[in-house]
Amino acid sequence: MKPGRFLNFLLKFYLFFTFIFIFIPIAFSLVFSFNSQRFPTIPLGNFSTEWYEKIFNDPDVWQAVINSIIVSTCTALVATFLGFCTAYSDFRYRFKLKGLYLTLVLLPPTIPLIILALAMLAWLSKLGISGQIWSVVCAHSVLTAPFAMAIIRLRLNQMDPDLEAAAWNLGGSEWSTMRHVIIPFCKPAIISSVCLTAAVSFDEFAISWFVSGLNKTVPVIILEIVQGNIDPQVNAIGTFVFLTSMTLVITAQLFFLTWQMKGARK
Amino acid sequence: MTEPLVTFKQVQKKFGNITAVKEINFEINEGEFLAIMGPSGCGKTTTLRMLAGLEIPTFGEIRLNGRLMNDVRPHERDTPMVWQTLALFPFLTVQENVEFGLKMRGISTSERKIKSLDWLDKLGVKELARRDINTLSGGQKQRVALARSLVMEPQILLLDEPLSALDAHLVIRMQAVLTQLQKELGITFVYVTHSQSEAFAMANRVIIMHEGEISQIGSPKDIYRSPANQFVAEFVGRNNILIGKVIKVTDNTATIRTDSGNYVVTMRNFEFKKDSLVNYIISADLVNFSLKKPEEENFVKCRLISEEFVGSMVTLFMESNDGTEFKIQMQERELSRFDVKNNSDFWLSWPKDKVHILKRIDL
Amino acid sequence: MFSNKKYNFNLYALTFRIPIIIWQLLFFVGPVVFMIAMSFFLVKNYRMTEAFEFVNWTKMFSKNYFWDSYWFTIFIAAFSTSLTMLLAFPASFTLAFRVSEITRRWAIFMLIIPFFTSYLVRTFSWYVILAEKGVINALFGYVGLGPYTMLNTHIGTLVGYMTLTLPLVIILQTVTMANIDRNLIEAAYNLGCKPFSIIWRVILPLSKTGMIVAAVFCFILSFGDFVAPFYLGGSQEPTLPILILDTTKSGQQWPRAAVVAIVMMLTLFIVAFGGIMTAYAKSFRR
Repeated sequence: MKPGRFLNFLLKFYLFFTFIFIFIPIAFSLVFSFNSQRFPTIPLGNFSTEWYEKIFNDPDVWQAVINSIIVSTCTALVATFLGFCTAYSDFRYRFKLKGLYLTLVLLPPTIPLIILALAMLAWLSKLGISGQIWSVVCAHSVLTAPFAMAIIRLRLNQMDPDLEAAAWNLGGSEWSTMRHVIIPFCKPAIISSVCLTAAVSFDEFAISWFVSGLNKTVPVIILEIVQGNIDPQVNAIGTFVFLTSMTLVITAQLFFLTWQMKGARK
Repeated sequence: MTEPLVTFKQVQKKFGNITAVKEINFEINEGEFLAIMGPSGCGKTTTLRMLAGLEIPTFGEIRLNGRLMNDVRPHERDTPMVWQTLALFPFLTVQENVEFGLKMRGISTSERKIKSLDWLDKLGVKELARRDINTLSGGQKQRVALARSLVMEPQILLLDEPLSALDAHLVIRMQAVLTQLQKELGITFVYVTHSQSEAFAMANRVIIMHEGEISQIGSPKDIYRSPANQFVAEFVGRNNILIGKVIKVTDNTATIRTDSGNYVVTMRNFEFKKDSLVNYIISADLVNFSLKKPEEENFVKCRLISEEFVGSMVTLFMESNDGTEFKIQMQERELSRFDVKNNSDFWLSWPKDKVHILKRIDL
Repeated sequence: MFSNKKYNFNLYALTFRIPIIIWQLLFFVGPVVFMIAMSFFLVKNYRMTEAFEFVNWTKMFSKNYFWDSYWFTIFIAAFSTSLTMLLAFPASFTLAFRVSEITRRWAIFMLIIPFFTSYLVRTFSWYVILAEKGVINALFGYVGLGPYTMLNTHIGTLVGYMTLTLPLVIILQTVTMANIDRNLIEAAYNLGCKPFSIIWRVILPLSKTGMIVAAVFCFILSFGDFVAPFYLGGSQEPTLPILILDTTKSGQQWPRAAVVAIVMMLTLFIVAFGGIMTAYAKSFRR
């Protein structure tokens, strides 16, 4: 099996190399956010936190962070609510035009962001609500609701199909059952969905750039810096954004994976 | 004669073009243990669900205590059910599960606690009160599911194949538990199953369903000994069903000609017309086995084809010269008295007064 | 489940069904329909007026730069898709067949990480890495080679596209292949199929659907991205998304941008439709 083993080794090396390609920019940004050089290259300069100091002292950056937090939190709540309603409707009911209903909900992620950004900009301007924080929220929730719906729908698949009927059978009305059975059961998926949609919203730049006007979010700030000269501040912001998103994603994954395993054991 | 607890009158259920329940009429009396039994797809679960309010009849009336229930929503009925999948709430502890129905009813927290612990105790699982559902064994989950429904102190308890997920030895034990519970509490049990042994072991009355219709209603013994039609005769018990033609009718007997021979039956409730086609039915456990030609009027010579052992009972599959299959059932210790290996011809015989006759439906 | 229709037209059911419909109509269907309508509007003196004229369409279609851009975008997106699919395959193959289940799960988890880092920041990193003064050229310098120009060329654009799409493509390919019934592969070996042929004769046909889905997603993402060709490719040849960007941000020519957007959507729709038809073709015929 010698050629087989050699081949295996080659394949694994290739895999490793692929991962390197994917993670180089991330690692790079991390490393050079702590580097004193103005233009990140080798040989490395000194260890320095000046870029972090710069962004922490920049009121525009802080405002952007606050905006991003507001937008992603609101988006997460709205998208999760919409996603939950849709997932439940899909789970429980059969109705006419259900195919159209689901297409309507699941279509947005298939359209390139720049097109959505243009469409949102035009429409929201016409309605006179462009340039506000909450107009970004509206746009982002359209984009992220499908993810929320998918996560919660998967969780509902794990539910014993008799569970809802059992609750009715024991005297729970439909609303009571929703409150005491369905929602508690979906809790991990709901939390997971909130984290995920928040993370997606936090990083989204195309729609934010077009629609947010003066209320810039963090990705918009990054865009502006990047359009200017090479500025390592971007690395510092990027690392900060990365850590925030990662925390959200890990929380989401932990909740979802542990409950998926528990559910499988059932 | 008290009013029956539940009546089904001309109840029909259609799902789109498919008729799950064609037309059924029956009554359930207070305090009885009723089993609804039949093969998959016969409509028994649909019937139970209609009683629980989870399906609405397309036609007909369902009454509980005289009240028309067709439009009454499931949560407004008092018909708690024990589910096939048990449907315990995985995010609640055992005690919280049992309290659920009481909580929906608005009963106070302290009273709920007392009642739920009381019932968990009655079912022998009080020490599991704080446990996570996922840590329980199959048998324990069963008991919790029972407690959850019984704590509601209903008039009627519905059970949808609750033992189907259990291991065989647990099934026997749970059957005893259920029978005893029902007797002690006096609650009406409506038990749906596809298992003949379960239905016959526990119920005092059985409804046999087939393709959406009721084939027979009666006590287990009546159904076993006097199947009302060909389906029941084939489905229940081990019966030898021979097709025959009536060739002679006297005052108290009739002679039927079959492919394997002419046999006699004592006249009872059946109207024998000469030349009519009938099913001549003799239950496998009423057939006698011998190595020598017997004295009775009804006998046939057979070869042994195969044996089937289930615990202490053995069923012998035999074949007569013309190819008709005969089944005989006996205790294993009876069989061991015969030297089956060194003989090739055996004689089966049966008493003429134990034969059951059904009119034959030509297909 | 309730099966009687009467129960379906109640407040409870509608409460859950309606919100998303209203929301999507307001903030998805509305914008898209409006954008389509907008392509027929007029712009005079930097002000947009509602109208129904075809002038934007005729002007756009008559411009060479539009068609150049259109075909170039299709070409570069298709090329990038092919390249990404090919380069991803050995990695996905390894993950699907040559590592343990735990390793695979961890690998997929790691591949999800890039989705939640800022794509912009990663692009910026590549900009710096690929620059003339950047890390790669510095390394080449140590061995006496280079410096090579990678930025502001198609190479830059491709690197950018791959940064965007490679993780997703690897995940999709891996999951597709990992879900193949192993019995079928063993049966093929059992019948004498040689190791390399297995890939061609068994694995690829069985993963056809998943592969097509991965390719379609990859194409859609590349086709619609403006960051890679803009920052790393230097807009050497502008792609359609860059056209939209230019006409919107600088020119305020929203109707023209809408024309480009609609052409993009139609193209993508045809590609996606074609992909789905190919992917599921066999199952219909059965």
